[in-house]
Amino acid sequence: MFKDSVPKYWRLRDVVYRLKYIYCRDCGKSSFPPRSKCPYCGSSNIDHRYSKGNGVVEEYTVMYQSEARYQDYQPIVFGVIRLDEGFRIVAPIVDVDPNSVEEGMRVEATLRRVRVDGSTGLIQYGIKFRPSRR
Amino acid sequence: MIQQPIVAGFGAVRIDRHFGMSSIDLAVESLKDLESRHTDIDLAPDTVIVSSMHPEIMQEQSGIAGVMADYLDLKGVRVYRVESGEASGLAAVNMAYTLIRSGLSRSTLVIGVEKVTEYPTSMITRAYSLIEDSDYKGFYGVTPAAEAALLAKIYMKRYGYSYQDLYKWPYLMHSTATTNPYAQLKFRLKDTSYEKSPIISDPLRLVDMFPYGDGAACIVVSDGSAVDKRDAVIAIAGVGASSDIVDPFVRSDPVFFDAVKNSFNQAVAMADVNRDQIKYIELHDSFTPYAYIAMESMGLVERGASVRSLSDDLTINGTYVNLSGGLKARGHPWGATGVYQVGEVFRALRGEEQYRSIDPIYAGLAQNMNGPGAQSYTTLLRRVD
Ligand SMILES: [Zn+2]
Repeated sequence: MFKDSVPKYWRLRDVVYRLKYIYCRDCGKSSFPPRSKCPYCGSSNIDHRYSKGNGVVEEYTVMYQSEARYQDYQPIVFGVIRLDEGFRIVAPIVDVDPNSVEEGMRVEATLRRVRVDGSTGLIQYGIKFRPSRR
Repeated sequence: MIQQPIVAGFGAVRIDRHFGMSSIDLAVESLKDLESRHTDIDLAPDTVIVSSMHPEIMQEQSGIAGVMADYLDLKGVRVYRVESGEASGLAAVNMAYTLIRSGLSRSTLVIGVEKVTEYPTSMITRAYSLIEDSDYKGFYGVTPAAEAALLAKIYMKRYGYSYQDLYKWPYLMHSTATTNPYAQLKFRLKDTSYEKSPIISDPLRLVDMFPYGDGAACIVVSDGSAVDKRDAVIAIAGVGASSDIVDPFVRSDPVFFDAVKNSFNQAVAMADVNRDQIKYIELHDSFTPYAYIAMESMGLVERGASVRSLSDDLTINGTYVNLSGGLKARGHPWGATGVYQVGEVFRALRGEEQYRSIDPIYAGLAQNMNGPGAQSYTTLLRRVD
């Protein structure tokens, strides 16, 4: 119980490392995480695509009380990020003073350490976002 | 013949950090409370439904319904466990309604139980965070509180409220819970108490979140063969259940809960009561913004108007809400909560002590959800007289 799994994150590699999402060819909307049908219109006529990782912060919060495995990273800034491909994701924003995050800020994806499982020694990496350097 | 399900009795333990009691002990105590409140009914349940969200994690117990029935000395009964996250309690009550109405059961005991405080706080938060989509949001450590904070900011900005405006909810919940014998938090807040309350996820503070506490509550739903007739007889007149896209940020509007609206409308449409006869509501306020969004989603008030429309006597457009103190102050032992909520509505309709100061109520309902409106359940009760 409560241990990280190697097969699980191997299975999820396209999503957690490459931001795989779905694009609906019927209604034109994108969504994340990928699923077999469009959550907006129910169509199965979907493409699996990969995001370029550029987006804008729509809303954010600074979290001070995290669950057990994330306490080394506190406080964590979580943003509701709208990717340029049109879908939203809630993910950490890093390399920034929490006080200087603002709505409308451009951000880009960066591969970072997400957590370390103390009991197995497994280190999980994933996509976080940092202020855009372009 | 279609049976009219009756709530024959209710019992519970005061929600608290019960370090000395297991989930089984809590369930036994709640049943003792039921038996002492309703001395003249013969329970004789043929079915036991246990609602619990995390018995595997918090109590290292699978098949909890069977173990519990055994310790309650019930043999030869049907046992089921219902799990729908933190809405497990009302999901279980809805299942009991269905069993009675179908005629399959004549008397069903619903026990909502949760042992929440078995581990340190950060572990409890981890277990609670499993209500999020684990593979994606859970991966980043997004807690339900962080999600509620994001929704609070969207709500405040859209409708022009400040944090101080929203603080009205926890302030009033603490105030009303002081008279509830089952409430975990029985102290009042001051106008400025939030200033000293630690921020959990900006702008939400500890005062904006339910307290971690253990609890068990039970009701007997019967076909009328077992019922306490000394006071008003209370029937389940309607039930509703509805689901939505789990992630609110994927929905078209994150701060209006369609599942709450739909489950509410289903229950009202099913019941033989008029909408304006529903004068009491126990709603799911795990975090401050959810109380306001739930009131708007149930249509008690137009969108964005609940904060300014809520009166200090806890009425909104003539309907009482959460006189119990709600999840915020009565407490929220996850899978047990829906059963506590039905118990509060039951006690309000019977005009029990805590509810004597308000006019007699004919019909009332409970609303219990998982996460920010990912799934929502409604149970509508009315007096039979
Ligand atoms: Zn579509």
